[in-house]
Amino acid sequence: MSYIVINKEKCKACYLCVDECPKKLLKISDETNSLGNRIVEFNDPKHECLGCAMCATRCPDLAITEVYKG
Amino acid sequence: MATQVFKLPESLKGDVKYSFCPGCDHGVAVRLIAEVLDELGIRENTILAASIGCSVTAYDFLNVDSLEAPHGRALAEATGIKRARPDKIVFTYQGDGDFASIGLAESMHSALRGENLTAICINNTTYGMTGGQLGPTTLLGQITTTSPTGRNVDYYGYPIKIAEHIALCDGTAFSARVSLDTVANIRKAKQAIKKAFEVQIKGIGFGFVEILSTCPTNWKMSPQKAHERVRNEMMPVFKPGIYKDVTTNEIEMLK
Repeated sequence: MSYIVINKEKCKACYLCVDECPKKLLKISDETNSLGNRIVEFNDPKHECLGCAMCATRCPDLAITEVYKG
Repeated sequence: MATQVFKLPESLKGDVKYSFCPGCDHGVAVRLIAEVLDELGIRENTILAASIGCSVTAYDFLNVDSLEAPHGRALAEATGIKRARPDKIVFTYQGDGDFASIGLAESMHSALRGENLTAICINNTTYGMTGGQLGPTTLLGQITTTSPTGRNVDYYGYPIKIAEHIALCDGTAFSARVSLDTVANIRKAKQAIKKAFEVQIKGIGFGFVEILSTCPTNWKMSPQKAHERVRNEMMPVFKPGIYKDVTTNEIEMLK
């Protein structure tokens, strides 16, 4: 099962990763971090994540710190 | 069993928190340099000559020895470091205002002397840190705080195409322009940065990469719109490609 790890405190809410995900698994959540940004959440109930790491490659703030493929 | 396909580069100072604006491509560029330093295994042997501008904060994030240079003089300082310690890998990380306006003489003559250095230049067509003034690479018609009616040729002249100019210098071993607007282009950018370091390691000459980047804050755009602007307005003028590569002896365009 592939998955990503998001460091919520580093998300600056640019939402570039949301457009990048080929399976559209990243969504803007209602949760906010200490910066007051509405952060991105990873929601993958059907285990669709490919582990392509395009979101992590795109993220300009290293908020997606780890990607696992399997 | 899941295998890790992405992790933070070891050349970064741990789990760093960037000080760049949301959506700024500086963060991607710094990460790519860190990944290249990891892959080449030269982190312990590398010195960064830092510049002035948003690019200055690179030394807060890259876990390499670094020295701060006066505005535009990063390559002059890097020349001194390299001549004193030829065994070290020396590189600069500069913006377009630092590289091509204030430090144009230092940058150009470093390339003409064929110094064994690597220079990375971020081109975002404006002065980002000081509030979006007209820079040397500002596109014709672009509105900035010091050109409120748009850059016109009669008054402000033409933007400089840095990668082409550096490629014309005989001391240059590698000169390329890359973009960070898509994931595919980010991967090409990493290859170009790696090549710019490799020519220095081989001692062939000056390695240069110009990176087309966004400045969503001063362009007053969303990060998504800013990347569209890079694609639609910047890339037709500043065409990505490898302009000089003495290792292959042929000009190959990145498509």
